[in-house]
Amino acid sequence: MKDVAKSQIIAGTKAIPALPRAATKLFEMLQNPDADMAEIEGILRFEPGLTANILKLTNSAYFGLPNKVGSIRQALVLLGRERLVELTMVTCAGALMWKSVPGYNLSPGELWRHSIAVSLAAEGLVKVLNLPEDKRVFTAALLHDIGKLVMGDWIKGDIEKIDELTAQGTSFEVAERLVLGTDHAEIGAEILKSWAFPQELVMAVRWHHQPERADEPSTMVDIVHVANVLCLMIGIGIGIEGLRYELSSSATEKLGLKPADIEQVASSTLQWVDELGNIFV
Amino acid sequence: MKYTVGVADMKVGRFGDILVTHALGSCLGLAVYDPVAKVGGLLHAMLPLSKINKEKAEANPFMFVDTGVPELFQEVYSLGGQKMRLEVKAAGCGEPLGNNQMFKIGERNLTILKKLLWKNNVLLNSKDVGGAASRTVYFYLDTGRLVIRSNGAERDL
Ligand SMILES: [Fe+2]
Ligand SMILES: [Fe+2]
Repeated sequence: MKDVAKSQIIAGTKAIPALPRAATKLFEMLQNPDADMAEIEGILRFEPGLTANILKLTNSAYFGLPNKVGSIRQALVLLGRERLVELTMVTCAGALMWKSVPGYNLSPGELWRHSIAVSLAAEGLVKVLNLPEDKRVFTAALLHDIGKLVMGDWIKGDIEKIDELTAQGTSFEVAERLVLGTDHAEIGAEILKSWAFPQELVMAVRWHHQPERADEPSTMVDIVHVANVLCLMIGIGIGIEGLRYELSSSATEKLGLKPADIEQVASSTLQWVDELGNIFV
Repeated sequence: MKYTVGVADMKVGRFGDILVTHALGSCLGLAVYDPVAKVGGLLHAMLPLSKINKEKAEANPFMFVDTGVPELFQEVYSLGGQKMRLEVKAAGCGEPLGNNQMFKIGERNLTILKKLLWKNNVLLNSKDVGGAASRTVYFYLDTGRLVIRSNGAERDL
């Protein structure tokens, strides 16, 4: 029964629209230091809607640029190509994740605000911990809960069974798995796989609730894990599951986190979520 | 009027108003009510101490318990509330599973609140705190009734 559900749920991931080709192409370029500006411009030339939204983000208060930016080339010069790829991802993810997610009791825009918040918190953690910059952390964080888009419909039907388990202290994603044979993290990883994302990102999404189970130790997983719990604690995108996720001590220890770091990041995340979370409305 | 109190936010009101705050995780929700003047206020504070980010505290004192709570009381006084008559109730301060010492923000929010109240000789009348559930608070300023909605169930506080 559970296995039937699992294969049906995975089949449901096919209904998630693919990311625009431009987005995955640009993301690949992050790994390729030789890609030049003309190439990046060339990719976006045929995506006017995407370009418009990227420029809208570029001109938001978050970046505090003194003059209005009117072209991809200008944006590239001012923000750099990593940022530009981030903004492309934000735009594409926004289009997918703006909707409400019934099973998790997330009203329209909440999953989106949560995703943006976890990305910003993840970047903030990398900064306060003085970790080497890995621009892909932002995208991993942005997409960590994308599996909820598919799982939501299944959760709805079985929420009583799931509630029974979580009432006894079982964490939510474990309860999902016990009842439905899979959880939103695994389904999210399936979606990223189908988009041909690099393995490390797929793993960061797959294990964002249980970072110690990742095949290889990965700072990316640990960061996304901590950033996610932090954003739920401050109430951004907190749904039917509340705070019923286990915070991994091995992740916080490996990162060498101190309470002050966490609070510092929490205090600066909120403002930018308000700024960016409403930009496409 | 119905007012929504956001994260790191505070609203006050009078007889007939309803104050609502959603999605209390580890944040502190603090409600203060004067049953004679029929005025009250609701705070949704995120972190215990403002020293972590002085700049943010200056821009928005409601982000922190130590700066937000005094503001809340001041605003309720300015509407005619009197200290001796105030009913004070706290909600929220939850935490994730796993008992990780690093993430005791909810517990620390409550500790700082209690210290502040104790120093100022104010009694905490009741509280609904801790655990891993998210809470929504409805605060009715005609009677001071405070309803907590959590896990699909409602209870009075
Ligand atoms: Fe998740
Ligand atoms: Fe999440």
